[in-house]
Amino acid sequence: MTAMPAFALDIPVERHRLANGLRVVLSEDRSAPIVCVAVYYHVGMRLEPPGRTGFAHLFEHLMFQGSQNMGKMELVKLVQENGGTLNGSTRYDFTNYFEVMPSNALDLALWMEADRMRGPVITQAELDNQRDVVKNEIRVNVTNRPYGSFPWLEMQARAYENWHNSHNGYGDMADLDAASLEDVQAFFDSYYSPANAVLVVAGDVDTGQALDLARRYFEDIPAAPPPAAPDLSEPRQEEEERWSYVDPLATRPALAVSYHVPPRGTPEYYAMGLLNQALAQGEDSLLHGELVLKRGLTGEVDGGINFLGHMHNAQTPLLWTSSLIHDQDVTVDALLEAYDAVIDPLLDRPLGEDVVHRLQAKARSGLLRTIAGGAYPRFGVADLLAVFELLEDDAGRVNEIDARFAAVTPEVLLRTAQEYLRRSNRNVLALEAGAAS
Amino acid sequence: MTQSSTHPRPEVPPLASSALPARRVETLPGGMTATLVSAGVVPIAAIRLVVHAGSAHVPAGQTWLDRLVHEYLREGTQSRDAEAFASALAALGGRLDIDGDAHTTTISTEVPSEHAPAAVTLLAELARTPRFPAGSAKRLLEDLERTLDIAGSQPQWLAHAGFRQALYGDHPYGRVLPTAEDLAALNVDRARAFWSERAGLASTRLMAAGLFDEDAVLQAARAGFEGWSEGAAASVPPSEVETARVIRIVDRPGAEQTTLQIGRRVPAPGHDDYVAFEVLNALLGGSFYSRITLNIREDKGYTYSPRSSVSSRPGDAYWVQAADVTTAVTGASLREILGEIDRLRAEPPSEAELAGILNYVAGAFVIRQATPGGILNHLEFLDLHGLDASYSASYVTKVREVTPSEVQRLAQAYLDPAGMPIILVGDRSAIEAQVAEFGPVEE
Repeated sequence: MTAMPAFALDIPVERHRLANGLRVVLSEDRSAPIVCVAVYYHVGMRLEPPGRTGFAHLFEHLMFQGSQNMGKMELVKLVQENGGTLNGSTRYDFTNYFEVMPSNALDLALWMEADRMRGPVITQAELDNQRDVVKNEIRVNVTNRPYGSFPWLEMQARAYENWHNSHNGYGDMADLDAASLEDVQAFFDSYYSPANAVLVVAGDVDTGQALDLARRYFEDIPAAPPPAAPDLSEPRQEEEERWSYVDPLATRPALAVSYHVPPRGTPEYYAMGLLNQALAQGEDSLLHGELVLKRGLTGEVDGGINFLGHMHNAQTPLLWTSSLIHDQDVTVDALLEAYDAVIDPLLDRPLGEDVVHRLQAKARSGLLRTIAGGAYPRFGVADLLAVFELLEDDAGRVNEIDARFAAVTPEVLLRTAQEYLRRSNRNVLALEAGAAS
Repeated sequence: MTQSSTHPRPEVPPLASSALPARRVETLPGGMTATLVSAGVVPIAAIRLVVHAGSAHVPAGQTWLDRLVHEYLREGTQSRDAEAFASALAALGGRLDIDGDAHTTTISTEVPSEHAPAAVTLLAELARTPRFPAGSAKRLLEDLERTLDIAGSQPQWLAHAGFRQALYGDHPYGRVLPTAEDLAALNVDRARAFWSERAGLASTRLMAAGLFDEDAVLQAARAGFEGWSEGAAASVPPSEVETARVIRIVDRPGAEQTTLQIGRRVPAPGHDDYVAFEVLNALLGGSFYSRITLNIREDKGYTYSPRSSVSSRPGDAYWVQAADVTTAVTGASLREILGEIDRLRAEPPSEAELAGILNYVAGAFVIRQATPGGILNHLEFLDLHGLDASYSASYVTKVREVTPSEVQRLAQAYLDPAGMPIILVGDRSAIEAQVAEFGPVEE
């Protein structure tokens, strides 16, 4: 039996920039006859302007309602009848649109994305229809759902000082109701230019041919200046904050604990990723051990760095947040005492080398799962490539993630914990159960 | 301004025929099968133990005993407690994933390729020698009570439970949520006995997909499972097929939306009509460009995520349309859903509409199996329904043979709305009058 060597993460990455500023990233994987075509626009829930809350998300819906050469929902029809599947989503820093298709449909997929990059062609009736759909999305995900706004909307509203980070990206109903076709066109003109976008093609393709097709369909889309980037910065938090609110539909109380994290791309950011592994990922994690196994305060502790994804697919500022649902007879103080018992030692002394190796193994494995898996095959890798191109100007850095985690030492972890897991950087949000029996 | 494009829409060339990745099936000592699929370019291996022991095997009055067993499978093995077991798996990069349905309990993980044999060794240790610490019982039962309490506040859970109950009555498939008495009947002895009686070589399959050393994984499996007990072959009594139109409302005063489910029993996997029925489902409500979605979402704006699906167990399946609709249009939504069902029964779809759906269903089949987890899901489906590799190999061909008249025939044979229960979770005072036209509403 031959032992397998430890893997090296080596995703093929080819990068190009078209004359109109559109960045194109190509990645070949011939293992199955499918391809993911994804277009990322650098506008998301926190980049939309005041008075236009919910526009980034509403606009995502409108991009399925028609363009110059496709009627309402025709793009969906073309994807499906050629054997593919698709989706779009609005996150903090971007809005994406993607198809996973049999690879013979690459040409069509690029043509469709180019057609809608030229602009939506929609009617008032289509705008009204999608406004109703969005309102139903908000109802099913937030207002008609127990814990629907917990912790993400409730915590970000309180823990951030900057309006861009704190406001509800699903939008105020008043802003949604006020949206006109003129507003839609203005939003498109501001944010949907080629220079504000990244196109990724990942899967069973010849990259030379894919580039030729990308040039054919996208390069004559007129250039326009990208929008000015808003200031997203947050002040250093100097005092712990505590809040509570009532969820009228919840039957058991819940608690969320958030800390502001280090800036993206720094050694401390990767250290924070490992601290997330240490504290909240998997049943070997410290919070699971203390709160679930040892004290029986809850059945499960969630944790993560990005309410709408993971640590790699958002810009900072972000919050590391841990949350749990508990019983009525468990107090917030008892829960916080258990958190302290886990977190205080991390600020006191460095973790052992063997523990750090385990955290690195978990982080590496999580990265592989993201790349290999998911409901939309090849989208996981396309997403990583797109966000590193969009947020760090180099999709090739996807291949450095593993080394960045491996470079984190016990000393960097200690330093990071001392600054970012300090009590005065903590935000505590208690959900009171309005429907408790 | 929208910029005009001069590019005509490209034609899509025919899809080159593609084969699914090859399967290697080995029989281990004691008769347990191992199915291995080498696929992909990412150095990761997905590993799954499928044990034929599920909620349908739980005695009446002990609903969620299977869930207690799942919780207990997270409590370590005879030689390692919960924390030590989780740490050993995490050192390989693995997370423990325990899941289950009516017929199976699955123990899964995904690890970097080089750790695949060691992960198999650990999962075998867990399946053979789970710890079942009596001291954890109180905590785990409190966790289940909390889970039940939360499930009972979620309209989608209530709709699912109500629909299952309407379809299956007292049959095990109808028991979704336990009563307080059910939970009170659960204990560590019953959990341990359930597992030790059911789990064993004859009731367990090993499946792995991704990149890994196949021989080393088989060697780890032989060593890990050697000498395990046989395990009991599981059987579940057949359930009544007849259902009737009943309308049940689960009251949520003030709810902004009504969460609805409507559907009925249909052919199961292995039946001659099953593959064609999957096509029907994709056309009617099971895809974004399906009739019901185009109608109640894209035309009317009544809902965000309507979806129909086919849910199956061995020898059993049902079709269900689910949606969360604005309260004021609950009746209107049902009228449109029933109208779409009637339309398909009254006239066959056009050749063009069906051709698009056939391509979608065939393409989705190939796409779903382009990840290690997707491959394992398909292997598990085949195992559960007693199907073999010929099912996979002929699936796309069978899909492409479905005709418009066959779709209409299936709609007539299996989707008579008169036999469909309707479950509505919403504000009774606002919706009762809206739905009276569809049949008597239960008190």
